[in-house]
Amino acid sequence: MTTLVDDGAGPVAGGPHTTAQLRGVAIGLANLAALAGITWLVWYVLLHPNGVLAFYTPMYGFSLVATLLAVIVFMSRIAEGWPFSAWPLAWPIRGAVMTAVALGAVYGLVHGLFWGGLGRVAVTYFSPYAIIAEGGVGAEFFNAREIASTAIVYFDAAFLVVALVWSAGVGRWPWHRVPVGVRVWSKTATVVLLSGLLFLVAFHPHVAHLFYPAQSMAGVTPWWRELSMTSSAFFNLGVLLCVVMAVVLSELTWEGEPWGRFDRQGGAAAKGVTTLLGSALIGLWFLYLLWQLMNALWYEPFVGGQRLDGPHFRYLHAGEVAGFVILSAYILKVCFGNGPGRGSLAMRALVRTALILAGAVAMWFFYYSPLATLALGKVPGIASPDDTSLVVTLLFLCVVLIQAEFFGRGPRAAATVDRPGR
Amino acid sequence: MLRRDFVKTLSGAGAAAVGASLAGPAEAQWIKRRPKVEIGEVARVRVDVLTETSWFDNTRLKQNIVAYGGAGTNQYSIPWDWDNAGGYSALITVTTLEGETRKILLDTGWNTEWMDYIYRRNGVDRMLAEGEIDFLVISHWHLDHAWGLASALKHNPDIKIIAPGTLYPEDRTLLGGGRLTARSHDGDDVVICQNDHPHTGPLVLTEEAGENDSGIYRPMPGMAIRLFDVPILLRVRGENVLYFNVKDHGIVTVTGCCHPGLLNLFAYARRNFEDARPYGCYGGLHLTVFESWDPRFDDIIRGIEYFGIEKIACNHCTGWLFAEKAAAAGLPIVRGTDAFRDYPKVSTVAGSSNVFLTNGDAVTFG
Repeated sequence: MTTLVDDGAGPVAGGPHTTAQLRGVAIGLANLAALAGITWLVWYVLLHPNGVLAFYTPMYGFSLVATLLAVIVFMSRIAEGWPFSAWPLAWPIRGAVMTAVALGAVYGLVHGLFWGGLGRVAVTYFSPYAIIAEGGVGAEFFNAREIASTAIVYFDAAFLVVALVWSAGVGRWPWHRVPVGVRVWSKTATVVLLSGLLFLVAFHPHVAHLFYPAQSMAGVTPWWRELSMTSSAFFNLGVLLCVVMAVVLSELTWEGEPWGRFDRQGGAAAKGVTTLLGSALIGLWFLYLLWQLMNALWYEPFVGGQRLDGPHFRYLHAGEVAGFVILSAYILKVCFGNGPGRGSLAMRALVRTALILAGAVAMWFFYYSPLATLALGKVPGIASPDDTSLVVTLLFLCVVLIQAEFFGRGPRAAATVDRPGR
Repeated sequence: MLRRDFVKTLSGAGAAAVGASLAGPAEAQWIKRRPKVEIGEVARVRVDVLTETSWFDNTRLKQNIVAYGGAGTNQYSIPWDWDNAGGYSALITVTTLEGETRKILLDTGWNTEWMDYIYRRNGVDRMLAEGEIDFLVISHWHLDHAWGLASALKHNPDIKIIAPGTLYPEDRTLLGGGRLTARSHDGDDVVICQNDHPHTGPLVLTEEAGENDSGIYRPMPGMAIRLFDVPILLRVRGENVLYFNVKDHGIVTVTGCCHPGLLNLFAYARRNFEDARPYGCYGGLHLTVFESWDPRFDDIIRGIEYFGIEKIACNHCTGWLFAEKAAAAGLPIVRGTDAFRDYPKVSTVAGSSNVFLTNGDAVTFG
C-alpha cells in the first residue's frame, strides 16, 4: 500500500526534460479530470437534489460523506492499510476490496453504530428513531434525521482532527516496536477516546441545544458564545478545519517541516506536541486572516446576523475555505507529484503553497458561480443555510484519497516513474 | 472573554500581526459604499393579515420536499399536495404625512381556490377591480407567495407589479399566463400551477443595484423596496423587502419570508438610510419553519435585544417555536387573536399562545 507521506511521485518521468515534465502534467490533468468526473457521478447519484437518491438534505448526505472520509483516514492513517497491505493482491483488486470495505463501514457506522446502537442505548440524538420515540416538538423523521446527521458529522470532524494530528504528530509512537495488529488497536482506542472527548467539548453543547426545550441538563449552554458571538458550533468546526489544514500543509506540502525537526531532536512526543501547538497557531492565524478578509468584503458580522452577516457563517466559511485548501493540497500531491521537486525546501514549499492557494481560490470561484448550479444543482450565491461547500469538497477528497491510499495511486502511478529522494 | 478580546488573542498569537498588515483594517474599502439615502417618512403603516397559512400540514409539505430531492430541489419539479396548499398575502395600508391612504398588496399566495376565498372574504377582489390597490409586490418567487397570481390578476390584470428580477423561465410563464406541470414518481404529469389571466400592466423587475444604483426602489415617499439577492431553498433566488420609515418611530420592515435575515435588514437600513432607527417588523422570519431549533436562533433573540426592535409582528415561516421562545425571552412580540379559528382551514402547528399574528389579524405601526 502507498502512503501519501512516504513517497513522492513526481510529474517528471525519468528526468528534468521539458517534454517529460509536460507529459507528467498532462497525465496529472487527465488524472484530475477522471477524479472530478467520478466525483460528479457520485454526487449526481447520491447527493444532487434532482439526482437519483438525493441524499443532500443537506445533513444526511453530509453525514455519509464525512463518515466516508473518516473511514478512509482510519484505514490509511490509523490502521496503516492493515490487514489489506499484507494480502498479496494486485492494486486494482486491493483497491476495490478496500473501497467496498470502506463503503460498507460507512453504512455500518451510520445506520448500525449510531442509528441502531449508540442512539438507542446511550445518546438519543445519534438516532432519528430514538428521537422520534422520545417525541416532543418537531420530532418527526426529517428533523430527527437532520439532527442525528448533524451529531454524526460533528463526531466525524472530531475524529478527523484527532486522527490527522496524531498521525502527523506522533505517528506510530509509543507502539512503534510492537506488532502491527497491536499497534493498530492501540492507536484506534486512543484516537477514538480523544475524539470522544473533543466531540463532548466542542460539539455536544450545540447538539444538545438543537431541541426545544434545550437539553441543558445534558449539555451546557455553548461555552464559546461570548467568545465567538455565536452559540453555533460552526465556530469550533471552523477553527478545527483550519488547524487540520495546517497539519495537512505541513505533512504534505512542506515535507513534514517545520515540526519534523522536533522529532529528530526530542522524539515523537515532542513532535506531537509541537505539531499540535504549531498547527493550532497557523490554523488560528489563517482563520484570523480570513476573518479580516470577510470583514473587508462583507462588513463586520454581528450577534444574530444571518447569512453573510452571521458570525456562525463566517466561521463555517473559514472551514469551507480550509477545505478547499486541503483538497487543493491533495490534488497537487496525488495528481501532480507535489509540483516542483528541485531547489531548496523553502523554495519548494513556497511554490507549492502558492499553487495550492491558487487552486483553492479557483475552487471558491467555481463553487459560487453559475457553473456550480449546472454541475451540482445548487442555488447561485453565498451563505445559503441549506448548503455548504464542505460536502462536495470532502466527497472530492474521498475520491482522491481512495485513488491514492487504496489503489496505490494507480493507474496514474503506472504512467509515471516515482522519483526518489523527495 | 468577548469577541474583540478573542480577536486580540488571535492577533497576539504569533504571526497575527503580519496577518493584520496583509488583510488591512477591519473596515477596509472593498465594500461598495453608497451615500446614505433619505427615503422620507410616512405617518402610519397598517398590515392586514389576509393569509399567512401557506400550507396547513407541515409534515405533508416536508414529505413532498424530501420525496423529490430535499431543500435544494426545483420547486417546479415537485407534484405538491394541492389540498395542503394555502398561501401568503398581506394588505398594507400606508397613511402618508399628508393624510392620504395608499394600498399595497404583498404576494398572491399559492392555492388559487384558497386565495379566491381569502380575497373575497377581505374585499380585496373589489379593491383590485376598482383600482384601489396602487401596486402588487411579489416578495419572492416561492410557490406559496407567487403561484396564486391568477387570483389577483383575474380582478385587475393591468395592476403594476414589482417583483424580483431573479426569476426563472417558469416564473415568467406563470406571469405571462400559462400552466406548469410536474411529474410524479408514478409518471403522471400533475398540474402544479396555472394562470389564465396574463399580466398586462407595468412590470418592475428589481435588481440589487436598485434605481440609479441607489440600492433601492422608492415607489412612494417614506417607502423603499430592496432586492436582497440571496440563495433560498427550492432553487429560488432573491427577496424583495419593503421598508417604511414611520415618523417619530423609525424603520419598519415588511417581508414575505425574510430569507435575507431580520437583523440583516435593519443592518442594511442603518448603513444605507439616513437616520435609520429600528422600530418594527411584520411577516415571516423564516426561522423554525419546520419546528426544529438551532443554537443560532438563540443568537437572533440576543441580537434583537441589542438592536432594540420595539414591535415584532411575525407569522408564517417564523415558526411558532421561535415566536414562543422570543416572547418568553421578553421580546416585544405582537400578540394575535383567535380570529384564525374562524377560517375553514387551520394550520396543524397553530399554538394556543397567540404569539403569531395570523389570518384575520392586523398590526399598526405608528
